[in-house]
Amino acid sequence: MPWYFYLALKQLFPSGRRFPFFTAISVLGVALGVGLLVVVTSVMGGFGYEIRRMIVETEGEVQIKSRALIADADRLVEQIERVPGVDAATPYASGVVMIVHEGRPAYPAMRGLDLTTVGRVVNLSHYIRLGSMDDLDDDSVVLSSELAQSLGVTVGGRIEVYSPLMIEKLRSDEIFLAREVRVVGILEIGHQQLDSSMLYCTVRLAQDLYGLGSSVHGINVRAKSGVGEDELAARLNASGLPRGVQAFSWMDSFEEFLWVLNLEKGMIFFLLLFIVIVAAFSVMSSLLISVVRKTREIGLLGALGARARGVAACFCVQGVLIGFFGTAAGLILGFVALALRNDIVLTIARFTQREEALRRFYQFSNLPAHTAPGDIILIIGLTLVISLFAGLIPAWRAARLKPVEAFRNE
Amino acid sequence: MSEPSLVLQATGLHKSYRSGDRQIEVLAGVDLTVGPGESVAIRGESGAGKSTLLNLLAGLDTADAGRLEWNGVGVTPSSATGLRNRFLGMVFQSFYLIPELTARDNVLMPRRIGGRIDAAARQRAEQLLSNVGLSDRGHHLPTQLSGGERQRVALARALMNQPPLLLADEPTGNLDERTGDSVIELLLGLCADTRTSLILVTHNPAHAAKTQRVLTLHAGKLHHG
Ligand SMILES: Nc1ncnc2c1ncn2[C@@H]1O[C@H](COP(=O)(O)OP(=O)(O)O)[C@@H](O)[C@H]1O
Ligand SMILES: [Mg+2]
Repeated sequence: MPWYFYLALKQLFPSGRRFPFFTAISVLGVALGVGLLVVVTSVMGGFGYEIRRMIVETEGEVQIKSRALIADADRLVEQIERVPGVDAATPYASGVVMIVHEGRPAYPAMRGLDLTTVGRVVNLSHYIRLGSMDDLDDDSVVLSSELAQSLGVTVGGRIEVYSPLMIEKLRSDEIFLAREVRVVGILEIGHQQLDSSMLYCTVRLAQDLYGLGSSVHGINVRAKSGVGEDELAARLNASGLPRGVQAFSWMDSFEEFLWVLNLEKGMIFFLLLFIVIVAAFSVMSSLLISVVRKTREIGLLGALGARARGVAACFCVQGVLIGFFGTAAGLILGFVALALRNDIVLTIARFTQREEALRRFYQFSNLPAHTAPGDIILIIGLTLVISLFAGLIPAWRAARLKPVEAFRNE
Repeated sequence: MSEPSLVLQATGLHKSYRSGDRQIEVLAGVDLTVGPGESVAIRGESGAGKSTLLNLLAGLDTADAGRLEWNGVGVTPSSATGLRNRFLGMVFQSFYLIPELTARDNVLMPRRIGGRIDAAARQRAEQLLSNVGLSDRGHHLPTQLSGGERQRVALARALMNQPPLLLADEPTGNLDERTGDSVIELLLGLCADTRTSLILVTHNPAHAAKTQRVLTLHAGKLHHG
């Protein structure tokens, strides 16, 4: 071990001292910054990740949309499934409907699913809280949880469904009857927006309600694992889809939303990085104090034949070591806080009696967290670089110190 | 191979400092030679320039004029940096032990800086600690040692790399008389045993008298006696 590394370690952790107080304070400052960065980027990342999971699990990685209706859905599905990287595809029809239960109306988004293929693309059964997806037929629907709750309907209940087509018919003085359907399932995805107002039915019912004949609005595509969604969308677009039909990755479909989310994450990362920078300043000032305090010892090192750059290295290494231990402690701190995040949030919410507001605000029933390895690497790298810089100025000061001048400071 | 005839040779060393608009000439042409194993005392009143001279001899400071040779080789402060670790040991009035290190690790420090610590180095450190009468205090921190003990650790450290020359700048200045006497005995004894040349700066005539040659720094020059 080079002497400057040895001495740096000894100055941070002096022999015979059980608890290195000054070092601990410096390390703690860095650790707090790193811990906070880990927690916040993970939670921010968690929102994005949860949203991705929900979208992908309910709509597949890639959506095929058409400017007009897609008339020959079966053939197109077949064609799409031949494209490499496509695991499965399922057509859907969608639109807004009005539903009424015991005089209470609601206007959910309707999604018509092709029961024979939908299971291979999206896993809605996973989110069923009551009833069963298997019971769905052309005379029944599955409702999202909050919608069912606000209507006061549950599995086995009956609702009336009205579609815009019926209003058209009404205009031309045709008689129309509302479609009466059974509720066979309640679905809860865990995202407030998605749970508030969704109605799932068979594609045939949707086609009926909207007068689509055998056409559909689009096709959801599941990618084989390991195939990137952007890549697959590009591949599909290059595979000769019919005119007016285009493939979008889920990210394209939610581009603006994701852009805002990423911007927010970047801003918060940048702001929190200042905690690390402030901590680095305190490391720098304590190292500078130590250089001044150790003037004579630094002079002595020169008298023992140490070179100026060795002396500089000694202080640089101290900065980096504090950064290193601070990063390690901060990662531990951050991951522990993440593991306990729901308890922490609940405790705070209970304390401030905001449990309900909190749930609504965050739109998730649990505080999501997803730690991207890239973020962690960035945090570690930046912290180490910043603490290296924190060591550089004291190091430069120490290296400039001439032994003769040091000895004269008696 | 025979020993070089001179361990240290300084000729015509000049050094002056600016003080406001006045030049204070501290050294006005100092000549000094020290042979192998020779011990030399330098006396002089406070402010005479003794420390200034030692710093020049150690290559820690630049002379305005003059020439310095170690073992017959001309050195400048920049070339001295690489040689100092092996060529000389220094002892100071205020000990200058590194407070975070135990006595043993302080003694080992010159070897760490100059090379690597191996079993032989550790053995030598133990030997030196026992030579200065501190074999059971190796694990103590400087704050756990008395002034005399600290100076003895500093002495062991100065001898760690078996330098041909030892420079001591008022090594007893911070010690009481009896402790100072014993440190000087030890210093002279160890240097004699290992044929280490010694330049001892001291106020104490009795200490000076124990060396082979006594010089006095006065008015910027060295005088005999
Ligand atoms: N860096 C310096 N700047 C100005 N004056 C100095 C400096 N170093 C030493 N001197 C002056 O040189 C003289 C000799 O100092 P020093 O060598 O420490 O004396 P001694 O060790 O003999 O007591 C003193 O007058 C001191 O004030
Ligand atoms: Mg002096």
